[in-house]
Amino acid sequence: MALSLRSTASSTWKTLSSIKTGVVLIILVVIFSAAGTVILQRPMTDPDDMARAYSPAMLRFLDATGLTDVYHTRWFLALMASVSLSIIAASLERFPNAWRYFARPYKSPDEGFRRVLPVQAHISIKDEEQGLTAAERAFRHMHLKSERIVRPDRFSLFAERNRISEMAVYIVHTSLLLIFFGAIIDGLYGWRGFLMLTPGSTGSQIEMRNGTSRTLPFSIRCDGTGEETYSDGTPKRWWSKLAVVDGDREVLSKEIVVNDPLVYNGIRFYQASYGRTGKLDRLVLHVIPRNSATNAQEISLSPNQVVSLDADTKVQIAEFIPDYVVQDGHVYARSNDVVNPAVHLIVTSARSEKAINFWLPEIPGVAENSSSPYNFEPKDLKTGVFTGLEVSHEPGQWAVWSGVLLMAIGLTFVFYVVHVRYWVVPVQDKQGNLALWVGGSANRNRDAFEQTFKRFVEQIEKELKPKFEEAADQPAAGLPKTTSAGR
Amino acid sequence: MAREARVEQHPATGMTLVVMVGLSIAFLLFIAFLNVVKSGDILSEANLLYAALVFYAGAGALYLGFGVTGTESYIKFASLATWAGLIANTAAVAHRWYEAGHPPFASLYEMLLSFVWTLAALTLVAEKQYGVKVIGTVTMPVAIVGVVLMQLLRSEVRPLVPALQSTWLHVHVTLAMLAYAACALSFALAMMFLIQDKLKTENFLAATTTFTVGIYGAILTRFEGWGGFNVIAWDPENKSEVFLAKNVRLFVTIPDLGWLMLLVFAAVVAPLTLYILSRVQKSESFIGVANRAVFVSILLQSLALLFFILRIRDGRYPSLDAAGLYPTALGTSPFILSGLVGGIFANLLYLLLLWRREDLERLLPDAEALDRITYKTICIAFPLLTLMIAAGAYWANKAWGSYWNWDPKETWAAITWLVYAGYLHMRITRGWRGRRAAYFAILGFGVVMFTFFGVTYLLNGLHSYA
Repeated sequence: MALSLRSTASSTWKTLSSIKTGVVLIILVVIFSAAGTVILQRPMTDPDDMARAYSPAMLRFLDATGLTDVYHTRWFLALMASVSLSIIAASLERFPNAWRYFARPYKSPDEGFRRVLPVQAHISIKDEEQGLTAAERAFRHMHLKSERIVRPDRFSLFAERNRISEMAVYIVHTSLLLIFFGAIIDGLYGWRGFLMLTPGSTGSQIEMRNGTSRTLPFSIRCDGTGEETYSDGTPKRWWSKLAVVDGDREVLSKEIVVNDPLVYNGIRFYQASYGRTGKLDRLVLHVIPRNSATNAQEISLSPNQVVSLDADTKVQIAEFIPDYVVQDGHVYARSNDVVNPAVHLIVTSARSEKAINFWLPEIPGVAENSSSPYNFEPKDLKTGVFTGLEVSHEPGQWAVWSGVLLMAIGLTFVFYVVHVRYWVVPVQDKQGNLALWVGGSANRNRDAFEQTFKRFVEQIEKELKPKFEEAADQPAAGLPKTTSAGR
Repeated sequence: MAREARVEQHPATGMTLVVMVGLSIAFLLFIAFLNVVKSGDILSEANLLYAALVFYAGAGALYLGFGVTGTESYIKFASLATWAGLIANTAAVAHRWYEAGHPPFASLYEMLLSFVWTLAALTLVAEKQYGVKVIGTVTMPVAIVGVVLMQLLRSEVRPLVPALQSTWLHVHVTLAMLAYAACALSFALAMMFLIQDKLKTENFLAATTTFTVGIYGAILTRFEGWGGFNVIAWDPENKSEVFLAKNVRLFVTIPDLGWLMLLVFAAVVAPLTLYILSRVQKSESFIGVANRAVFVSILLQSLALLFFILRIRDGRYPSLDAAGLYPTALGTSPFILSGLVGGIFANLLYLLLLWRREDLERLLPDAEALDRITYKTICIAFPLLTLMIAAGAYWANKAWGSYWNWDPKETWAAITWLVYAGYLHMRITRGWRGRRAAYFAILGFGVVMFTFFGVTYLLNGLHSYA
């Protein structure tokens, strides 16, 4: 039968391992990756921007086909998997041959090989041993180690360098597969999220990209955070002093900056951002009693603190608005930036059981500043800061970096390490003249190799010369033309 | 008889050009020196760059002279001028490095400084190592354009924001520049191969005109309905672009400039249309008209460049997105500027080919040698590209917590890598040589250009400051 299971399997294998398949798959990867850069992608774009950029019908189509999140769709992953399979298949298909080439060097060339080798030369010699010794000396001159191959009918020489170069291609492709493997692991088991901490607080809940949250088996405490800026206000340095609390012990502490994360148990904490929370940290006030200018005091208030001004009166902060605006008789917060701050104090008198609303600045309609027994003047304001930490877990990254390193090695071998082989075989032509057949082969940079080979042949001839001038008459064909003075 | 007469004539005109160039360089440097003596700071960065510009211009003129007349002595002097320019350029780089406290990689101005330096260095390497002596005709004009662009950009030392304060910045950017420079070299060599491989001049016409039409098509994305032209506004007090919100830049509309660009677009479409007509009608006569149309389009493109620069420097313009008038600056439109200059440059090179093809063919190495050298250049470019991507990924991992984000720039860098990997596969395993390999190399460089320019100009992402 023409269609047997075996032939289908083998033709499938042939297609999978062919270079054409690989090229087609790569072209598809290119097309879809490029599409993902031109079409707005959901993970990176605000939903509002997406709605603005595309009509509802177009957006429905793009979402349905997955084009709004190309790199995470199943068919794209399947495409990448196919690329990996094609690399594996192509390598498996060609590897046995390459391994044979690598593991069993061809040290003794037969006549057919000698006839067709493109890079070869003949040097006339008087005597086999003399020829071989000269060649061995020439090899030493080229820093090549030669070995004598013993055959029933003759000796011959073989020397080679950098045999590993034959495996170079497989090193490169293996490295690529290693990188893919790492990426897959990270895709399946890796995650990224965000953690915001204020100084003194501890957190272990990570906000993930997709809105869910993840709890860590340990917690991170922020012992301080800060920002240094250049004279024009651009950020120069963001730092956070972090401590890892596992169980009840502090196991690790580090001051991190951008580009220098804290790593614990494979989870990395990166300094991503810094900002003001807009919440009050501390307020320093100058307090003057209404009826006397003396007895002024200075107090410091934090949001939940009640301070006694005298036996009867207490003051506390009711609210702090970093950027206030008044509308319809109410005070609202416009933003979190400390642009237009207002603070609402409550002064309570134990005796009269009155609570007076004191506002700084004195906002008409809500402030009862004149009823307060004390006058307050703001002296200093410290608002809270937060540090934004990017948290990630990427178990597969070691495979990725090893793959990168391996690829660097592999590419070096592919481009710069050449496998060269030399053979020297004494031969006899039809007239019975003895000659040294010299052959060479290189798997790359053949034009440069031809020059090197020529130099090698000249070197052999040089090694032959002193012995030769002792010989009586015949000038040999292989020697450069010197005036044959004879003896 | 006539041949001997010609040979005699050449030495006479040969030295004239060298003397003229030498005098011009001396004159320009003297004028600069007088200016400098007035202001007092001889070795300022601006002066060093000016000196580099003058030397590169001299070198460019001499290379072009060699390209056109074939006088060998031009090369010697052109090389000398390039060396002098490179020394001045190196001094400028060192000065910048010292002033800024970091290698010059942190802004467009600094990138151009480094790029021009690499270009000059590679020109000298290509001459000595590869023996391709006419490469200066291509690289020196580009270097000149680069230095001119730098004079127009703002050049204050910008402090590095936290994300850029890493050695990996230097590693990644150095690798990127070397890789892109090697790709650019392979492109030039592939083009030269096509010349030597007797590709018809009309095909070069088609390619050049298509390229120019593409540039003006991209430029016309800034055309505003009633004839205006949109450019990004500039805030001279804060010395930065004007932002409406995070990452959203404010555009102003220059009236009537849009019409000019549209007119020039028509002028560059004309030769392409004539070429297509010649193919459709199978008539050679259209080609002659097309070549004249190219000449006219160069003139109009120069007008477009001139008016673009003049209007930009010249006033405050309204915006559709905000009230009031805003100024703009050349520094906010580096890609448009590069596109305009690149278009003129490509068309000029085409005319050089059209008028002096036999001379070029005489001076360039033979096709087979060029094919091999292109391959060798890509063998250098590909590992550099690989390392650049790896360094970028490692740095991203340290700074942002993820080594691959499918950011447009990252994705296109990967696509570039795949294309060059494709070239190597086709060459090594399928034995692709000659024309097919050359086209592949040219395609590769096209992708490199898109990664470098197109992504930042047309798309968005994390890389928006590079």
